[in-house]
Amino acid sequence: MNPQTHVRYEAALKVTGQARYEGEVMPPGMLHAALVESPVACGEVLSVDAARAETVPGFATIVTRADSESLRPSGATALIREKAIHFHGQPVALVAASTGSQAREAARAVHVATRVQPAVTHLDQAAGAAFAPAAVGRFPAASRRGDPSRALSEAELIVRNRYTTDVNNHHPMEPHAVVCWWEDHRAVVHTSTQAVFATRASIAHAFDMPAGDIRVLSRFLGGGFGCKGQLWWPWMFWAMLASRKAGRPVRLELSRAQMFTLVGRRQATTQDLSLGFVDGRLTAIEHDVVAQTSTHADFSDSTAVYTRLLYACPNVSTAHKLVRTNEPHPVPMRAPGTAPGTFALESAMDEAAGQLGIDPLELRMRNFAAHDQESGRPWSSNRLLECYRVGAERFGWARRHERAKSKVGRWTVGFGMATTLYPAIRQACKARVRLSLDGSLVVQCGTQDMGSGTYTALGQIAADALGIPMAKVTVELGDTWLPDGPFSGGSQVTASIFPAVEAATSKLRAMLANLAVGDPGAPLGGRRPQEIEFRDEMVRGRSSNVAERLVDLLARGPADGLAAEGECAATDHQALAATGMGYGAIFVEIGVDAELGEIRVRRVCGTFAAGRILNPLLARSQFIGGLIGGIGMALHEQTVTDRATGCILGKSFTDYLIPVHADMPEFDIAMIEEDDPHLPGGVKGIGMLGTAGIQAGIANALHDAIGRRVRHLPIRIEDCLASAY
Amino acid sequence: MNPDTTALPLADEKHLPMPRIALSMTINGARYDIETASTATLLDVIRDQLGLTGTKKGCDMGGCGACTVLVEGRRIASCLALAASFSDAVLTTIEGIGTADRLHPLQAAFIRHDALQCGYCTPGQILSGIALLSENPRSFEEIREGMSGNLCRCGAYPGIVAAIAEVAGL
Ligand code: FES
Ligand code: FES
Repeated sequence: MNPQTHVRYEAALKVTGQARYEGEVMPPGMLHAALVESPVACGEVLSVDAARAETVPGFATIVTRADSESLRPSGATALIREKAIHFHGQPVALVAASTGSQAREAARAVHVATRVQPAVTHLDQAAGAAFAPAAVGRFPAASRRGDPSRALSEAELIVRNRYTTDVNNHHPMEPHAVVCWWEDHRAVVHTSTQAVFATRASIAHAFDMPAGDIRVLSRFLGGGFGCKGQLWWPWMFWAMLASRKAGRPVRLELSRAQMFTLVGRRQATTQDLSLGFVDGRLTAIEHDVVAQTSTHADFSDSTAVYTRLLYACPNVSTAHKLVRTNEPHPVPMRAPGTAPGTFALESAMDEAAGQLGIDPLELRMRNFAAHDQESGRPWSSNRLLECYRVGAERFGWARRHERAKSKVGRWTVGFGMATTLYPAIRQACKARVRLSLDGSLVVQCGTQDMGSGTYTALGQIAADALGIPMAKVTVELGDTWLPDGPFSGGSQVTASIFPAVEAATSKLRAMLANLAVGDPGAPLGGRRPQEIEFRDEMVRGRSSNVAERLVDLLARGPADGLAAEGECAATDHQALAATGMGYGAIFVEIGVDAELGEIRVRRVCGTFAAGRILNPLLARSQFIGGLIGGIGMALHEQTVTDRATGCILGKSFTDYLIPVHADMPEFDIAMIEEDDPHLPGGVKGIGMLGTAGIQAGIANALHDAIGRRVRHLPIRIEDCLASAY
Repeated sequence: MNPDTTALPLADEKHLPMPRIALSMTINGARYDIETASTATLLDVIRDQLGLTGTKKGCDMGGCGACTVLVEGRRIASCLALAASFSDAVLTTIEGIGTADRLHPLQAAFIRHDALQCGYCTPGQILSGIALLSENPRSFEEIREGMSGNLCRCGAYPGIVAAIAEVAGL
C-alpha cells in the first residue's frame, strides 16, 4: 500500500465553521456555570457562604464540597471532597446561573472563609524534601547499568552541567468545556476530552452508576496536548452535580486564565547531567532529575528515561526525584519526558563535541546504539543514522565549517542540531466497519481526533483495505456508544486503530470474497476466495481481468449490508521481542541580533524515521506542529508563580507567549521510509517527535552563533544581549 | 499553621437586574433583532444568543483572534467589542463565507494546504486572512506580520500562510 495524500476528512466542516465542538451544544434551558476560586495557595476552606450570590439575578444553584460527599472517594474526587487547599485558584465552589456573566457575577459574590497556611511556592524552598516517585510513567524511576561513577573517574573528558527547564502550559485554543444533563438516572456528557472511555469510567466510579448509563461525547476537540484528561474531571463532576440539583442542563467553560491552574502543566525540571568520554566514545552517563509536583498527587515525566537508550554506553545511571509545591499539578504535555530530557542530553553532547573537537553530528553517529542497551533487546527498526545523513545533506550541515560566524543583515547566524525520539506503543482498540448496499462505508471507533488526523486515518485505513474512495466513507468517533477506542495521546492512536480496523476490514473482505465466489453464475463464481482483491469499488480475480462491482455483490448479501468488528490488544511490554522507537534528526539555523538580544529561528530541517507514514500531507502537518511547539518551549513559554502568594502571574496570552505567524522559520520535513516487521502495519506514531530535540538544536545553534551556552529554557532576550557575554 | 481567616472582599452594591437593550444587526446578509444585556460582548451575542458557533472563544481577552469577525470587511476581535456599539452594523462571520459545496477560494486553499489541525482557530484565521487579502499583502513576510494576531496552538501556520499567499497570487 502506498502512502496517500488524502486531504483532511473533516476539513470542510472546520473551514466553514460547521464543526460543532462539544461546548457548543445548546440544549434548551441550559444554565451557565462559573467556578469560585481559592484566594490562597495553602490552607483549608472553613466555609462557603452563598447568601449574596443567591441575590444575583439569574442565580440557579451552587455546588460545594458538601455536595461532593455523594461522590465516591478517589484520586479524581479528592480535590472536591476534601477541605484542603493545595494551590492558588483551586475551585472551592461552582455556581450556575441563567447566563455566563450572571454566573461569573454570582461566583464573585460567594464569600469563602479560609484558614491560611504557609505555602511552598518554589521548587528550591523544599528541595531538601525531594523524594523518588514510585515510577515515571511506565518506567522505573531509577536505573543503573555498569559502574558510571568509576567510568567517570577514568574518563578522558567529563562534561558535567546543570540544565533547567521552566513550567509550560498546554493551551489548546479551545478551552475545556462540558455541557451535561440527566435523563432520569442516565447522564449525557458532551465534553472536550482526549479520552471518552476513561472519562466515562471516571464518572461511573464517582457517581457509582453503571457505565452503560453514561454517554460521553467528544467528536470535535480543539486541541489537547495532554491537558484534556483527568485533571478536568473534578470540575466536570461539579457541573454534573449542578445539573442534577437544578434539573437543567449545565455548561461549564474554563476561562483562559483557569487553563494556567486547573488542567495541568509541563513540570519544571532541574537536571544534573554528566557525560564521560574515552576516545570520542561515551563511557559514562549520570542523569539526575528533580521536578515539581503538587501537594495532592505525584507526577513525574520520564525525563531521563531516554538517556538510558539513545546512545551506546556501558555505564549509565538515571534517577528522578520530585519536590512538592503549592502549585498546580503537572501532567504530560507534548513530547513528555523527551522534550526536557533531550534538551539536557543533546545540549551536553554538543558541549562535548566542542571540547573534543569533533563535529557534533559525527559524535552522535559514532555513539549510535545498535540495539537497546537498557533492555538488551534489538530495535524493532531504527533508521536514525539515515536521518542524520539525509538531514545533514538537505540542511547543508557541511557549510557549518565554511561559515565562520557569518552575518546576514543584522543577524549573526548559527547552526545547531539534535536528536529526537519517542517510543512506539499501542493501546487496546476496537473498531467496527459497515458496508451498505449502495457501497458506502461507515467506520466507527470511540477514540478522539484532537487535531492529529484521526478521522482521516480511520477512514483511509478502511477505504484502502476495501478499495473504496474516501468520498464514500463516513467516520464516526468521539462517542462512548461506539466501540472502545484509545485515548488520544502519546503518539499511539494511529498505531492502535490500524490493527483494529485492519482486523475488521479483513473479516469484511472474507465475507465479500465468499459472496463473490459463492454464486456460480457470478463473474468470479467458483474461484478461490484467496484470489480475490479489492480495487476501485470492484472485486477482481488477482490473475485475470474478471471483476464484479461491489454494489452488485452486496445486492446478493443481507438486506442491511455487511458489518464486522476488529480489535487489537495493547502493547505487552513484558513480552516484547524488540524495542520500538521513532527517531528524528533536527537541524536548526538561527539568527541573533546581539544588540537587541533578539533570537529568530530561520530554518528548521526535521528528518524523521517513524515507521510507515499513512498520509504524508497530514504527517507533515503533525511534524511541523510539533516543531512549533518545541520552538515555543525553547524561546517563549514560561509560567511564573509569584513566590509571595503562590498565584500564577500573567495568566493570559499577553504574558504567556506562544509562537505566532511572525515567529515562523522555513520548514523542510523529510520522512525516511521504514519497514518495521515487529509492529502491526509498521505504524509507529509521529505526533511527539517534532516537539523534542529542537530545543537543544536551538540552544546549540545559539552557541554556534555567539559562543554563549544557555542551559535553561526558555532562552531569554537577556541571554542573547551582547552585554551578557 | 496560621489560624487567621481571609475572605474575598464583598461587593457592596446591590445586585440589580442587568439593563437590557434592543439592537438590530445584519449578519451574513440576514437581519437580527436582538435583546441583550447592555454589557454583552459581540462574541457572546453571536455565539451564545444567535447560536452562530463558528465564531470561537479562545481567550475572551483579545489575545488570540479565534473570535475574529468582519465589520464592513474590517476584522475585529468580537470578544473585545460591546454588542451595543454595533447596532445597525453589517457583520460577516465564518457561516457567511462559504459552505461545504460552495467554498470561498481561501477555504478551499486551506483544505489543500492542510492549513488546520484541530480547527478551533480556523474560522478566525480565515476571516482574518480574507480581510488581509483586501489589504493586498505583497510578500510572505507581510502575510506573517498581518496574521500574527491569530494564534494557532496546533502549529498550522505554514499551511495558513501558504493558503493566503496562493489566493493572493504570490
Ligand atoms: S477570543 Fe477574542 S481574541 Fe481570543
Ligand atoms: S488548528 Fe488547532 S489551534 Fe489552529
